[in-house]
Amino acid sequence: MSDEFKEVVVTAVKNQEQAAELMGKLLAVAQPGAVYSEPVTVGEHTVITASEVSASMGFGFGIGGGTGTESAEGEAVSEDKPQGEKGEARGFGGGGGGGGASMGRPVAVISIGPEGVRVDPVVDATKIALAVFTTAGAMLIMLGKMLKASRG
Amino acid sequence: MARFKEMLRWRTISGDKVTVGDVTVTPQSRALIIRWPRGGLVWNRPVGILVERGEQTERIPIVDVTRMAQLGLLGLSLVFSMVIFVLSIRRRRDRNER
Repeated sequence: MSDEFKEVVVTAVKNQEQAAELMGKLLAVAQPGAVYSEPVTVGEHTVITASEVSASMGFGFGIGGGTGTESAEGEAVSEDKPQGEKGEARGFGGGGGGGGASMGRPVAVISIGPEGVRVDPVVDATKIALAVFTTAGAMLIMLGKMLKASRG
Repeated sequence: MARFKEMLRWRTISGDKVTVGDVTVTPQSRALIIRWPRGGLVWNRPVGILVERGEQTERIPIVDVTRMAQLGLLGLSLVFSMVIFVLSIRRRRDRNER
């Protein structure tokens, strides 16, 4: 085994280990600690925020290589030629890539005080407004098409 | 089947208890974990809290109002689309009968 190939394999193994470490970090998102914040106390009230979190990742590796023999002039070398006349062509390579995304969105605020425990929802008005406009647009388009079809 | 279960997990987990005065709150979350050979996806959301006061234990659910509104609008548009589709088929049939 050539040194080049060994180097490629060692690099690939290191990449695999790093990927496994990343997978471990990804699974940490599945813990409640990722969803609920640390409690913050202000006066008599303690507040905890609850968020929806999601994370995804993907990665891949590949290694390859090969050896071939050819003469110095680029002609195929016959096996009966002495070894010294052969120019050895050899190549190894490897590569990897990956990507990921994560998202977090507050969902509710939990407040603990003398009057009891309250859960107040966090409303994302922008998201709802966008959904309303998209729905209304889709409905109008469908209605328009139906009216057009009934006239024609 | 076991491999599928290993790839796709849906579990409810309780977090660390928070005690304020005589009230103890235990947060709960539900996580969807999908793993594939070269990566994975985790979706974790809060589902509720367990409130313990003295002998009493109460569960308060956490409702994602934004998600509910989005799903409601999606449902509304689907129902509307189906009604429009059925109406257009009826009209076409009536016209052909005439």
